[in-house]
Amino acid sequence: MSFLGYKEYIEEGDLVLAYLGRESMKPIIINSKETLNTRFGAFAHSDIVGKKYGSQIKGSKGYGFIHLLQPTAELWTLSLPHRTQIVYTPDSSYITQRLGITCGSRVIEAGTGSASFSHSLARTVSTKGTLFTFEFHKPRYEEAKREFEEHGLINDPVIINHRDVCKDGFEIPEVELKSTAIFLDLPSPWEAIKHLPKVISDDEKVGICCFSPCIEQVDLTIKALQEHGWTDIEMVEIQGRRWEARQTMVRQVDDAISRLKDVKTRKLEGIEKKRQYYANNNIKVEDLTPEQSDSNDEGSKKRKLKEEQEQTKVTKTEFNPFGRGLRIKEGDENYQWCKISKNEAEVKSHTSYLTFAFKTASTSTSSL
Amino acid sequence: MSETDLTYIKPKIIENGLHAIIRMPSDGLKIVQLEKSKSINLGKFGTFDVDGILGFPFGQTFEVLDDRKVRPIGSTIYSTVDEAENEIETEIDNENRTPVLETLSEKIDYLKKLDIESSDSNRNLIDIGNSTQSLSMDEIETLKKTASGVNVGEAIIDKLIKSHVNFNMKTKQSQEKYLRRKQQKFLRRFTIDHISSSRLLQYYIEKDASKVLDMSEESLGLLLTLANIQPGGRYLVVDETGGLLLAAMMERMGGSGEILVVHENEHPNHFVLTQTDFPQALQDKMIKTINLLQFFEPENEKVEWTDLPQEELDQMKSSRKVHYHRRKQNVFQTNSAMDNAIKGNFDGLIIVSTLYIPTLLDKILEKAGGSRPVAIYSQFKEPLVETQIQSLNDLRLLAPTIHETRCRPYQTIPGRLHPLMSMRGGGGYVFSALRVFPIEDGVQAVGRGISRKKQKLDDRAPVE
Repeated sequence: MSFLGYKEYIEEGDLVLAYLGRESMKPIIINSKETLNTRFGAFAHSDIVGKKYGSQIKGSKGYGFIHLLQPTAELWTLSLPHRTQIVYTPDSSYITQRLGITCGSRVIEAGTGSASFSHSLARTVSTKGTLFTFEFHKPRYEEAKREFEEHGLINDPVIINHRDVCKDGFEIPEVELKSTAIFLDLPSPWEAIKHLPKVISDDEKVGICCFSPCIEQVDLTIKALQEHGWTDIEMVEIQGRRWEARQTMVRQVDDAISRLKDVKTRKLEGIEKKRQYYANNNIKVEDLTPEQSDSNDEGSKKRKLKEEQEQTKVTKTEFNPFGRGLRIKEGDENYQWCKISKNEAEVKSHTSYLTFAFKTASTSTSSL
Repeated sequence: MSETDLTYIKPKIIENGLHAIIRMPSDGLKIVQLEKSKSINLGKFGTFDVDGILGFPFGQTFEVLDDRKVRPIGSTIYSTVDEAENEIETEIDNENRTPVLETLSEKIDYLKKLDIESSDSNRNLIDIGNSTQSLSMDEIETLKKTASGVNVGEAIIDKLIKSHVNFNMKTKQSQEKYLRRKQQKFLRRFTIDHISSSRLLQYYIEKDASKVLDMSEESLGLLLTLANIQPGGRYLVVDETGGLLLAAMMERMGGSGEILVVHENEHPNHFVLTQTDFPQALQDKMIKTINLLQFFEPENEKVEWTDLPQEELDQMKSSRKVHYHRRKQNVFQTNSAMDNAIKGNFDGLIIVSTLYIPTLLDKILEKAGGSRPVAIYSQFKEPLVETQIQSLNDLRLLAPTIHETRCRPYQTIPGRLHPLMSMRGGGGYVFSALRVFPIEDGVQAVGRGISRKKQKLDDRAPVE
């Protein structure tokens, strides 16, 4: 029951997510004889048993660490093996809320795909409800089925079927689906819509969401929905963004001007020093042209140049308002900072179109 | 206390005593509590008796007839011209005379069929603003007064179309749009749905979005998902939406679990919960409230209680006795809520608040259990930006992230799909992180003097 309910301590046989980094989580089933090897070190399962969920643990060599997490549907979405394009959290959370899927709901999902949304739905409907999920691709079906078994979700609340719903519909022998929410993530949802009347609840308002990446698919879907008596049809698109908080240095224009003044002062100071040096050593400026230089005496030339540099040196400035040339850590107390936010480097600009529609209980027509 | 008082099953049938939300053709919403033999006034959309809708399933659409009667129909707006034409044609063919049209929608469709031509393109359409409409506001007002009951809408739309100089110059599509707009204004129809968190939220967004801190439906969904809300959980909540968040959580908890609500006033104000049908006993069982002072300093706030001797109680007047028992119950509830707070180890920390988040989170985080989500909604991004910056140095928080989600609606007509020109702005932001337990004496990250390249792979600041 890793995905449903809460556990405080890790026990033998538990499914634990080893958190290595944001995009890197390893699902492990605790077996005291085994060791988890990661780029952050080796972690013996026997050291994990008895720890609290959420604990940070050290690698066996004394350095490197990982966090031990109890899996949730959302963490699973980040770590699962992708078999197909998955439904991401901004989409899945909106669909769940808009279709009114809550504890106890009976939901139909086709196809199962990578089972990312299935986990989220299973968590929300809980053992008081049921998720009927259909997958027509045999290897994907078997993978998903194995996952539901390992995750303690099979049969309660997840019932998975290997089926092409467009061809063979949604009916399951000896089971009344009476579903109130349907999610179709299929290449041609319009072919499946006609099979729905037999499996939807007849005494409640039913909602459907079709998930298609192309607008042409949406067009055909809407027509099929209208044809089969669905109303309140609306297509929307969810744009999910993540923001990263950063700090940018407050660089005052007056400081930039002061710095220019400082540079100018020191430049003049240098010129003055050189002038005096030349005067003291009786060097005429004409003598400094390259043609005049004595190529036979490289050594003495270098010596002279070094002497000149040392004697005309301008003292290094203390004035460095923006920390030029230094490695300044973001947020360094010696500088002023402005808290800002930026988008991820790459955003998901389009996942899929969500076409929603609803059907009122059919008892209303019989009462007419 | 019966078992049914402690569970919540979403009602399917419109029944006396339940709360409902009414959607009008204008998309306006109204929340009502259904009372037998009373009537409900929808303003210009008419008045109807509650008895007429009882027994129908929730989600049903009705048309208001004369004498406060209603009749159930398909939907609030008649959607496409094609559909309408087909129906009318068959009726005309069958009877070969003017069909008997009962509903307003049928009349409108018939009207469209008989009287109105449409143009292939709009090249002859000249936009001269209001003057294309020769029917004046005064005339409409007079019509409203003279036409009776159900005919009002029809009469107005009929006149509007006939007096619209350019109507037959419009393309079929724009005629349809025009009719839809007029229907929204004048049709006397409504759809009645059961109260749900989404519908309540929609109602408040339209009425006064500041009451729910401008939260959008997509932000609410994301918040609940990231908080991993499920039956049986023990949640710690700060809710400034008047209980809307609590209503949404209760839907997902299905009657089991516990919510400890921390608020900043003497008494909490959950006005939204009074518009729901969660039994009071269930609310009392699941929701415990406590103020910030009691939460953070329970040692000084616990109330000692000693029962009065039985003789004294026997002599009390009944009103004083009731008061005594209520006080006793309050003391016990508050004390047990404080014990709950001291216990900590909550399965989720969910905050929807205008308090300054960085300090609130820092102070309250200790109470969240290990590996449990922290999910915070804020109307503005900046407080969450500060929260995230602070979190990067707080080893009790893993993967702090700021999310934004926006739902973009489309014009949903086959062949003419495009995003709507305008949509609601705002909607807020959601912060999420996981509560973890750092190693107390610190740990050397891989990379410190081992491999700089590997260090970069780790996005957590190493502990010294």
